[in-house]
Amino acid sequence: MKTVIAMVRKELIDAMRDKRSVMAGLYYAIGTPLLMCGMFMVLIGQLSSPEDLNINITNSDNAPDLVRFLNNRGINASTDEGVSVKDVKDIELIISDDYAENMAKAKPAEVTLIADNSNEKLQKSIRRVELQLQAYSSEMGSLRLIARGINPAVVQPVKVIVEDQATPDSKGGFILGIAIFTMIYSVFISGMNLAIDTSAGERERNSLALLLSHPISTRQLVLGKIIAVTCFALLGLLLILLVSKFAYTFVPWQELGFSVNISPDFMGLMLFIGIPLAIMAATLQLFVSFMAKSFKEAQSYLTMVLFVPLALSMAASYNIAPDVLEWLPVSGQQQALMAFIKGREIPMLQLLVSSGATLVLSVALALGLEKLLKSEKVVFGL
Amino acid sequence: MITVTNLSKKIGDVQALDNLSFSAHDGHITGLLGPNGAGKTTCLRTVFGLLAADEGHAEIDGIDVAKEPTKAKAQLGLFPDPFGLYERLSPREYISYFAELSGMSKNDAKQATQNVIAQLKLEDIADRRCKGFSQGQRMKTALAQAIVHKPTNIILDEPTRGLDVMSTRLLRDILLSLKAAGHCVLFSSHVMQEVAALCDQVIVMADGKVVATGSPEELCQQTGKDSLEDAFIQLIGTDEGIAA
Repeated sequence: MKTVIAMVRKELIDAMRDKRSVMAGLYYAIGTPLLMCGMFMVLIGQLSSPEDLNINITNSDNAPDLVRFLNNRGINASTDEGVSVKDVKDIELIISDDYAENMAKAKPAEVTLIADNSNEKLQKSIRRVELQLQAYSSEMGSLRLIARGINPAVVQPVKVIVEDQATPDSKGGFILGIAIFTMIYSVFISGMNLAIDTSAGERERNSLALLLSHPISTRQLVLGKIIAVTCFALLGLLLILLVSKFAYTFVPWQELGFSVNISPDFMGLMLFIGIPLAIMAATLQLFVSFMAKSFKEAQSYLTMVLFVPLALSMAASYNIAPDVLEWLPVSGQQQALMAFIKGREIPMLQLLVSSGATLVLSVALALGLEKLLKSEKVVFGL
Repeated sequence: MITVTNLSKKIGDVQALDNLSFSAHDGHITGLLGPNGAGKTTCLRTVFGLLAADEGHAEIDGIDVAKEPTKAKAQLGLFPDPFGLYERLSPREYISYFAELSGMSKNDAKQATQNVIAQLKLEDIADRRCKGFSQGQRMKTALAQAIVHKPTNIILDEPTRGLDVMSTRLLRDILLSLKAAGHCVLFSSHVMQEVAALCDQVIVMADGKVVATGSPEELCQQTGKDSLEDAFIQLIGTDEGIAA
């Protein structure tokens, strides 16, 4: 144990002096929450208030009432005041010359909507205009029926009532998922450089054989390295939590109707759940980089390997096959954390199973590492 | 005392060690002399248990390296080639780290590091980071690491490679003082002058086999040559001579 402590101390001193390792962790931990904040602000702006839609309306003088109706619902004519030319969508609404006349005679008054329906960017806007035109049409129809003493309900045989079950929390699930994902991912990113440096780097500097020629067991060596990388990963996690706590207060969450509050409770839970994750990240990265022959090779392998936790975590926030994912490493913890921050009950059993699976995976990888380091091929790159 | 018995090791298709046997005694400096690719480094790595021998065994003070690696390695100090320094640590940190790995307590390691720094006159660089050290400074740091825990046996792999005259002399003095203190010193080299000046016993290796053993004088007598260099050529070059 004494030997392991000595190794961890040395690895940490060595890593702290390595600008490359420290910077990799720092950039991520500080940069990501800030980047996320900026992204959320833009996203929330788009989600909460649909922008005004500006279209070309020809002969608008013929139908002042229709134009007013559209205007009230955020659809403006390009000729209106305060509408700049570049904001005008390529949608044209032509009001026929005999519109007013036909309308007055209760005949179908013609309007023509001209737009490119294959243009994906326009589709949403076209539908919006169509919807409002229909709304206007049925409103006028109802008024005509009332004027003739008929209840407009007789021409509405089916009344569709849509109840939206989405709570403000579940609407924000995607955003929450990303926010928590960035935190979980920090345990993978923060320790990565140290993991490479202390394995592939150690061999590249020819100090691995020297290390192994000392009276220490491979188990001690593996433990020392895993603990050092884990410490670094957790440090990165702590840092990203602190930065997030500060940065997320600037996002206008209230517009979504919920808030992402990085409370001390959440930070405590995240750090606790992060421990098995950090251990697994450390063993996984050490295992992969010991198989690589050089620092660069290890880097390219690891970037590929890190897609796995990325995919798991992403799938968890998009709700793809959520039943299985609840029990798996990374995604299981992610879902538990999301439940906690939404104020729901944490799925304890699932959290325990996924954390257990994380630890089992770590032990398996650590044993694999031990075996690797006993192999002459790995130590000397023969 | 290091004893190697019938050691054989195949790396890939190459028979790196071929039924190799020799012993290096306490209070002696033993030189492992051989041309490039003779199997010197492989032999030393096997003695350290870093490579597993296909056949035969190596013993350190009577302890089989393959059977009790930790116990056997505690009796060994290694001066490797290349040195394997940690560039971001100072020699003081580097030396005491390896002292702790050799089983010393933190305080003992600190004290032993101080002693070895004084012994090798490393004071001026002891607290600078190893990055940018000259070859001589690197050699001294690596050597301090090898002897800090006062092992009975010290193994050096090509210790004089890349050193200037001053550093070589310093190294020579240290090896002689280790010998006087009763340590068993085993080093590999392909430099005749070094071996001739230092060794009590020379083991001449070629193609993974021991070709001859004896003091430099004995080897000269045995081959009827005046210099160790000629004797060496005679010993390892007979095949080539016939072929030519």
